[in-house]
Amino acid sequence: MTAATDRVTLYHWEPNANSGKPMLTLFEKGVAFDSHYLDLLNFDQHKPDYLAINPLGTIPAMTHGDKVLTESTAIMEYVDEAFAGPRLMPDDPVDRWRVRWWMKFMDQWLGPSFSMIGWSVFIGPSVRQRDPAELDAAIERIPMPERRIAWRKAISGAFSAEEMAESQRRVALGIGFLEEALGKREWLASDSYSLADINGFNLAYALPLSQPHLSNDALTPNILRWLRAIYARPATRACWALGRTDMAKRVTILESEPA
Amino acid sequence: MTTILYHGEPNGPSLTVLAAAFEKQVDVTLERIDLAAGERHAGAVPRTMEIDLSIEGEGPVLVVDGTPMADSVFVACYLDDVGAGAPLRPADPYARWQTMAWCRYVIERIAPAAAYIGLSDAPPRAVPPGIASVDLADRWRAAVEGQVDQARLDDSRSKIAQGVDKVEAQLADGRDWLMGDFGIADLESYAWLAGMPRLVPDAFAAHPRTSAWLDRVKARPSVARALALATTPVPEAAWAPGPEINRWG
Repeated sequence: MTAATDRVTLYHWEPNANSGKPMLTLFEKGVAFDSHYLDLLNFDQHKPDYLAINPLGTIPAMTHGDKVLTESTAIMEYVDEAFAGPRLMPDDPVDRWRVRWWMKFMDQWLGPSFSMIGWSVFIGPSVRQRDPAELDAAIERIPMPERRIAWRKAISGAFSAEEMAESQRRVALGIGFLEEALGKREWLASDSYSLADINGFNLAYALPLSQPHLSNDALTPNILRWLRAIYARPATRACWALGRTDMAKRVTILESEPA
Repeated sequence: MTTILYHGEPNGPSLTVLAAAFEKQVDVTLERIDLAAGERHAGAVPRTMEIDLSIEGEGPVLVVDGTPMADSVFVACYLDDVGAGAPLRPADPYARWQTMAWCRYVIERIAPAAAYIGLSDAPPRAVPPGIASVDLADRWRAAVEGQVDQARLDDSRSKIAQGVDKVEAQLADGRDWLMGDFGIADLESYAWLAGMPRLVPDAFAAHPRTSAWLDRVKARPSVARALALATTPVPEAAWAPGPEINRWG
């Protein structure tokens, strides 16, 4: 039995994007953890119980004994360093730089574009039908002003055509960059499976479904090879089994045979 | 192994990487380029996807045996890995997480704000040819044409004020350096904040610990050596288009 001082609890939503990054890292490292599912669509992340853990109300957060960690990419590095299990950062210092470069590129340039599309097609419509007064109250409880704005936009469908076009431009370009990088190496940032692949999979696992005209076996064979290879890993199967929504179930597109 | 550092004026990301190289006693050949004239997009600096798409915008490029690297915090991590000097990140995983989470806050919140404020004060003269990234080229055009959005400027000033509050709180226990021992968090935070007391003075008023910390970092031999490379009398007023302001707000 794990002593209370060593206990790991992850507060997360779906195996997807930021929540999925530390989830999959923990599974790859073989770290036993208490899974605390927060329903983002029910605003669980802004309720007092969770704000006591992470006052900013962002998901995910992790506790390890009495330590509290936020920021999904920084949590991934912590999990890799703090626990035994396979190393998820390459040995070569230049490769380690490249892992971090890709994670930042995905976290700050490509990811926000994917998520703008995701919020407008999935999250907004999922919560829009609820009582407006209830939604308004829920939004008012969000600690960070920028998140309040994002939620309002998602719910009202107010992302401008210009914003959506820019997101789509970046997604198309980003798919090209991923394909190019995966044409040079077996894995995204180095010759060994790393945190960059875990981060990237969380961003791109549903690409052949969400962007079928840009990512498919004919156009992006390296991306498809890479996604299927990650999906074949036992850790990925175990991680995605924690998904509860149709969004996470999109991963089954990777069960298709290469065309 | 040959290591070349193409760097701009010792402010922002160039300052972080120069000082990190000096702290770690890494043998680097220094090549000065004018980032504000867009010299990273032409001439001797190697061009790869990672350089063209660097989230940092106009920053230094470290070339190790032909591989060019951009993004100052991660280049500093590289130098920390290979250099002989005292560590610039703590050994304990949780303390390392604190450093990386702190740096993430700086690069995501403070850096775009500082670059926006700095550029609105000292815009570049012309958009250089050869910029591969469409969105970086847009930031150049807006800066050159003096398109300053007042709401963004106000938001950037409040981001600097929040950042200074965070530094002040971190120093509240009387420590000299942000993470205990001197390191990348001090360098990256200083590099983006050094030019701000002149442009956002209110943010620094009644923040004595932050002011004293800025002085301490500036006096660090590695930082002083980097600042001595300046070709302008006020290097902290030298800016080039930096990271974009988060599109989500």
